[in-house]
Amino acid sequence: MRYNFELALRGLRRFPKSSVLVVLTVALGLAACMTTLTLLHVLSADPLPGRSQDLYLAWVNTLTSKPSTSHSLNGVHPVDYRTIKLPDAEAMLGAHKAVQQTALADMTAVVSNEDGTRKQENQTLLATTSSFMPMFGVTLRHGRDWSAAEGKAREHVAVIDTHLARQLFGTTQAVGRSIRIRKTLFRVVGVSEAYSPQPHFYDLADWTFSTGPEFHESVFLPYTSALDAGLGPDYDQYCDDASHKQFMEGFEKFGERHCDWLSYWVRLDTPHQVAAFRAWLDDYAEQRQALQGIHRAVHARLFSIPQWLTVQRVVPDSVRLNAWMAASFLLLCMANVAGLLTARFLRRSGEIGIRRALGAPRRAIFVQHVAEAAAVCVLGGVLALPLTLLGLWILRLQQHGDSSLARLDPAMFGFLFALALVVGILVGLVPAWRASRVEPGLQVKSA
Amino acid sequence: MGWRSMFSILRRNSLVPLLLWVQVALACAILSNVVFLAAQKLEPMLAPSGMSTRHLILASQIHSQGRAWTQGEVRGATRMLREVPGVKAVSVAMGVPLTQDIIFDLALEGSTGAKVGVNAYAGKGLVDTLGLKLVAGRDFRPSEYRATGIGGNFKTAKQPVRPIIITQALADALFGGKAVGKLAHNPEVRVHQDYRVVGVVRHLLRNQLNLANDGRSDDSVLLPDYVKSSTLLDFAIRVAPGTPSGVLKQIRKVIHDQFGPLMGPDAKAVVNFYDVLRARAFESQRDALWMFAGIALTVLIVTLVGIIGLTGFWVQKRTRQIGIRRALGARRGDILRYFMAENAMIVGAGAVFGMLLAYVGNHMLMQYYELHALPKSFLPTGAIAMLVLGQLAALGPALRASRVPPVVATRSV
Repeated sequence: MRYNFELALRGLRRFPKSSVLVVLTVALGLAACMTTLTLLHVLSADPLPGRSQDLYLAWVNTLTSKPSTSHSLNGVHPVDYRTIKLPDAEAMLGAHKAVQQTALADMTAVVSNEDGTRKQENQTLLATTSSFMPMFGVTLRHGRDWSAAEGKAREHVAVIDTHLARQLFGTTQAVGRSIRIRKTLFRVVGVSEAYSPQPHFYDLADWTFSTGPEFHESVFLPYTSALDAGLGPDYDQYCDDASHKQFMEGFEKFGERHCDWLSYWVRLDTPHQVAAFRAWLDDYAEQRQALQGIHRAVHARLFSIPQWLTVQRVVPDSVRLNAWMAASFLLLCMANVAGLLTARFLRRSGEIGIRRALGAPRRAIFVQHVAEAAAVCVLGGVLALPLTLLGLWILRLQQHGDSSLARLDPAMFGFLFALALVVGILVGLVPAWRASRVEPGLQVKSA
Repeated sequence: MGWRSMFSILRRNSLVPLLLWVQVALACAILSNVVFLAAQKLEPMLAPSGMSTRHLILASQIHSQGRAWTQGEVRGATRMLREVPGVKAVSVAMGVPLTQDIIFDLALEGSTGAKVGVNAYAGKGLVDTLGLKLVAGRDFRPSEYRATGIGGNFKTAKQPVRPIIITQALADALFGGKAVGKLAHNPEVRVHQDYRVVGVVRHLLRNQLNLANDGRSDDSVLLPDYVKSSTLLDFAIRVAPGTPSGVLKQIRKVIHDQFGPLMGPDAKAVVNFYDVLRARAFESQRDALWMFAGIALTVLIVTLVGIIGLTGFWVQKRTRQIGIRRALGARRGDILRYFMAENAMIVGAGAVFGMLLAYVGNHMLMQYYELHALPKSFLPTGAIAMLVLGQLAALGPALRASRVPPVVATRSV
């Protein structure tokens, strides 16, 4: 192997111009591929590693109006985040059919300290139940989360994150203090670490990916007391008796009991639990539909997180298309390099012939040339690293949304070199095979 | 040397031409797809707006929280905007070009049976304020306007036949030419509504810019609606030529004073000249175009290098053969022509396969992603580029080959 490596290096130095060309071409192809794949990798990453495989979004179809799902000639189609009405959420929470369950909705409000001397505008509040934090893995730094009993009693308690605690109170030790939301004082029972999974899968209405510091929930509070304080969801989907008039004012007009606004999440650990819950959910929805005198072909749906992210098209098509384009470009570069290497290897036919004549088997010639190709391509991989970083920097410059997240992580860094090596070996196969076919006698004669 | 000998040479040494062929096919497939994607991005940027845009100011994202703006508030603001020195015309609108805060999504079917999805703009006096050119028919009459708004408290009068102004492109698509006086209806909604064309404007850019390709940029109409009371509204404002740009500040101040209190802390009206808004609206398109240009250029360079490298090697390998042929009486021109023809043949075969690859690749990706079908007219773009590139790349090695002296044939045989 060492001998092969030495020969490869020698070969590289023998034709410096063509070596530079090959390395550059490989580097370009690898960098294009890595740039697009890194963005794809970041956008399609698991939002909650270790937990996401057990979480499911449950949806029941109980609106008395039929929400339009039409796709117009202009491609305008209503987004459906599969939220449900409050009575259904409460009935399902009460039934306790999953390991854990919670309902949630994002709300926006101005949050201030007790006397209103410090104020933070445009804060996102997550109105939910006491199960959210253990289910979704929010870590507390100080204090505790609220209990189910406190939620039921509609107590005015809240958990705020360290960032907001510092802004309002100058310290993260905010347990026991109070925050004011509208006219209501909420007692801070806990302070949490910053929490912003990517993508923001449990409520996609406000944002999909946090592309700035403003995209995170700074307050967690019971949905019961949030409603008491006069807050409403940022987005409601559809309401009973919907007509065109409810556009943008549904919740105010129809209220929490008649509009879809809560995302309902459950934790189910085993396939058996999933099947049992699915059956129960379907039954429940069918009963509710019968009670309300409506008939729908679909009663209910249960989405795993991967299904949910696919249905909602969280990763834009353009990102996947660009990855395909880059992959075909890499293929072009590989064909190109295979050509350049063939030319280079056959230029040394004489040398190969002599080695063969001196007794080197075809296999040795083959391995030597594949090794040389791999060496060139790994060198290309090294050069591709700065090029990839440049590509990602250019992506981040384009300040529209998701691409600002594109950064190279260690996994992708390792992948780059693995890819370079695989590309090198693949690219070397054909030229090395051709080189190993060189007839010893013919070459020695004409050299 | 005839074609037959050329084929037999290719057949006997098939690896190098095969590699060249693969490269050309891949490059050709990538190029035609990239050119098509770039054209898709370019089309809305090149589409005529139909408006007189130089002295046009648009205001959008005026969004109230809690309740809709009343008729009095809307009228008051309009009056104050008209009083700003230099302002010639003001229209309160639902939807203005370049902004997507309000999208009127409408479908129309006319006498040709074609169904077209269009964007509508509504507002009193938009033809004048936007500076549209009527090519047939007339503007709306004051009596034809009816109240509109989002979340406002009013009743809209039923009009079984509504007047409508369409673009020339729509007149052609819906009626095959002359449109004034003809009827169209919306095939998508259950409630039947007829529209009678009263006027035709030359162009009008739709506000769903992502749909302004494939010749759909002019699929927009005007509706005779005036904004009575709404939670969301836009303004189109025309200023006199020569008005100092300070007018923008005054207009912003009026809008802020009149609408600010109800807009909530984080809402922000967008008020600017058309050209500034246009530059902003096309920012992502421009970025994408640069990217496509970069890809195309890189593909061309990589392919050029590849063809030069392989052709150069192949010529060098056959130096002795060339010498023999020269010694047997072939002229320099013959050798040059032979290598150029050989290149054209290999590249041409690659290009043909590349076109097939481009077509198949596009259709496969279309199954999974939102992607337009690659029109056949784009297939030759990559092929022609490849042929030209191939000839350019082959010229150097072919010239070198033609300079091989006949005496080479006698050496070291």
